[in-house]
Amino acid sequence: MPAFDDVEEGDELPARELFLEKDQVRAYARAAGQWSPRFTDDEGARREGLPGMITPGNMSMGLLVTLVESWAGPGCVRRLGTTFRGLLLPGRRIRLCGAVTEKNASARTVELDVWIENEDGERPVIGTTTVALR
Amino acid sequence: MPLEFDPAILGQEFDRAVSEPVTAEELIDFARALGETHPRYVEAGPDLVGHPTFCLRYKGNKFYPDSLPKNINVRTGFDAGKDIELGVPVRPGDAVEVRATLHEVYEKTGRTGRMYFVVLRLTLTNQRGEMLAVIDNRFMHR
Repeated sequence: MPAFDDVEEGDELPARELFLEKDQVRAYARAAGQWSPRFTDDEGARREGLPGMITPGNMSMGLLVTLVESWAGPGCVRRLGTTFRGLLLPGRRIRLCGAVTEKNASARTVELDVWIENEDGERPVIGTTTVALR
Repeated sequence: MPLEFDPAILGQEFDRAVSEPVTAEELIDFARALGETHPRYVEAGPDLVGHPTFCLRYKGNKFYPDSLPKNINVRTGFDAGKDIELGVPVRPGDAVEVRATLHEVYEKTGRTGRMYFVVLRLTLTNQRGEMLAVIDNRFMHR
């Protein structure tokens, strides 16, 4: 886990690349109380005008927190703000990414930009987060 | 049509609900679905806490207040983003109280025309009165 003094503005978090399985999204939808065709079933999602089942925005936020906590340790996230700019489709590879944008010495926190990239290099989810470091 | 509304509707609580006590199994299932493996989130015992985004699953009984401006078509919205400020973690046995207020209403004009944004603020506390999270849910309507 990085110490506050060892972190510099511009540092990038080790990106995490993963194949987002449809079954994982279904498991999330079940555990999160978001069981709905748009998150669980391609045909049901198409009936709602979507290209297929999509990933809940809340799950995107959860994945970004796992990225940040794998870098700075569990319980480090103080705030997370996200914008959902597009659809995050499961059944594809995604990349979870982050970079340090600012340090706050008095609070010993850092600000990060965080985002999810799809296979086309688009960023359907972007955000910022405040992270406490030791 | 420009948004017209009484600013007094902002900040008014329109819903309050208390959940059933959360179980360790619910916390663990949620964390595992995110691919989480840290014992803090996936091993039952006295140290188990909820993943920070577990709070996002809580809602009130009522999605929107009755006082929304009439030109917002509540049937056409989608989730535009969220901001979450985290307090103490959720623990097994917690009964979570959700208080919902209409935090902000505004409009923007983009390439595809006029968009209306509604921001609902959910304040979550546990049975000890500790703040679990403040969540601003941003919905966009055309």
